[in-house]
Amino acid sequence: MTDDFEFYAVDPAASPDERHAIRQLLTRCGLDYEEHIQVFVACRHEGRLVACAGLESNIVKCCAIEPDLRGGSLSLTLLSEVVHLAYERGHSHLFLYTRPENVSFFQGCGFYPLAEVPGYVTLMENTPVGIRSYCDRLRTKRIAGAKIGAIVINANPFTLGHQYLVRLAAAQCDWLHLFVVSEDVSFVSYRDRYALVEQGVQGIERLTLHHGSQYMVSRATFPDYFFKEKGVVGDCCTAIDLLLFRRYIAPALGITHRFVGTEPFCETTRKYNADMKYWLQTADAAAPAVTVIEEARTRAGGTPISASEVRRLLRSRDVDRIRALVPSATFELLQDKYMPKIVPFVPDLAGAAGEPDAVPRRAVAAGV
Amino acid sequence: MKIVKEALAGTLESSDLLVKVSPAAGDGLDVVISSEVMQQFGAQIEQVVRDTLNALGVTDGLVVVEDKGALDCAIRARVQTAVLRGAEVQTFNWSALS
Repeated sequence: MTDDFEFYAVDPAASPDERHAIRQLLTRCGLDYEEHIQVFVACRHEGRLVACAGLESNIVKCCAIEPDLRGGSLSLTLLSEVVHLAYERGHSHLFLYTRPENVSFFQGCGFYPLAEVPGYVTLMENTPVGIRSYCDRLRTKRIAGAKIGAIVINANPFTLGHQYLVRLAAAQCDWLHLFVVSEDVSFVSYRDRYALVEQGVQGIERLTLHHGSQYMVSRATFPDYFFKEKGVVGDCCTAIDLLLFRRYIAPALGITHRFVGTEPFCETTRKYNADMKYWLQTADAAAPAVTVIEEARTRAGGTPISASEVRRLLRSRDVDRIRALVPSATFELLQDKYMPKIVPFVPDLAGAAGEPDAVPRRAVAAGV
Repeated sequence: MKIVKEALAGTLESSDLLVKVSPAAGDGLDVVISSEVMQQFGAQIEQVVRDTLNALGVTDGLVVVEDKGALDCAIRARVQTAVLRGAEVQTFNWSALS
């Protein structure tokens, strides 16, 4: 039967006709077209587009099969093709989001569930050992203690505010685990962000600095797509990330408390902090609760310090005010390496090159 | 033979299997089998996979098998292909493969 089906890869940006056909197929299947997909596997039967599956880096999206062709082996061929395509493109560790009722189907395709928001969504990965070996690695860094804290920061870039929060949290805990978001999509590169944090927390005792991972504030854990129902959008986007933290990361390291700075400016971030309290503390889950501690941000000259403020000042080349908000190492790096990259006076040019707030927008909005 | 990069062979179609190999995180061989017929043939599938890896001299790495009821000969062929791809081998010792 598969002989009559022709599979091929499509670059949606380069082929408007294919893109149009895919969009129509997705619409017939009740799915929205995802603009960020870089490549699709498409399948034609007697000239008609009957199935597709897309890839945004290592995330499988927009899987659809014409309703009259479902229930056969087409789905398994489609998933095989998309997994092979992902490997060819250098992505072997794949994630996908699906409704909980479709989990068993994807389990038959080599995907394993990671976290579920009951009734809404499940995040799956294509390896049975991914999260397990990650937690095994974390466990080697476990330190015994009654109060074990954790902070997750993007540090884009590392400010005196981050330093203040880390110091404050470390003083309150028997041990503090500090994670730097490793998804390399921020204005400041991961290597630089990590190095600045490493320098900035030197001398703070009882602290372990960790590299971030796919399982923590990454493109995979923050799906800013999939949900169309109003209200559900915000909830589920943060829920998966927080549930992963509570179910896997916190138990592996024995984390009892998670620290976060209060958000004086941004409504979305305020919501993320509230979500954090709900999913880590209140929500029903098999894993023990993690207590969320919100610390008031430190101020400089009356204004709370935030990394987004630093990026804003950078855009307007307000060097002197930046100096008051960041450690000297951050300041020097910004001046030498990042200042020349900024195109001056391009306010509100979202998505433009040089825009400090690239993706993941939700993660950035979350102020981590 | 040493697995130096992630590699893939096979499909998820009926009577086939998908084999994924990747370099070892630690020492030793980690073989994970998932099969439609785990109950009946799980042990045998694992034996075929391990024998094939042994014949190729693979001592370290992670090997994940998603089996859809493949015969032993198919299992051997897919495991060999995945390993050869993952080891970036250009010249084959054919007699070791048979």
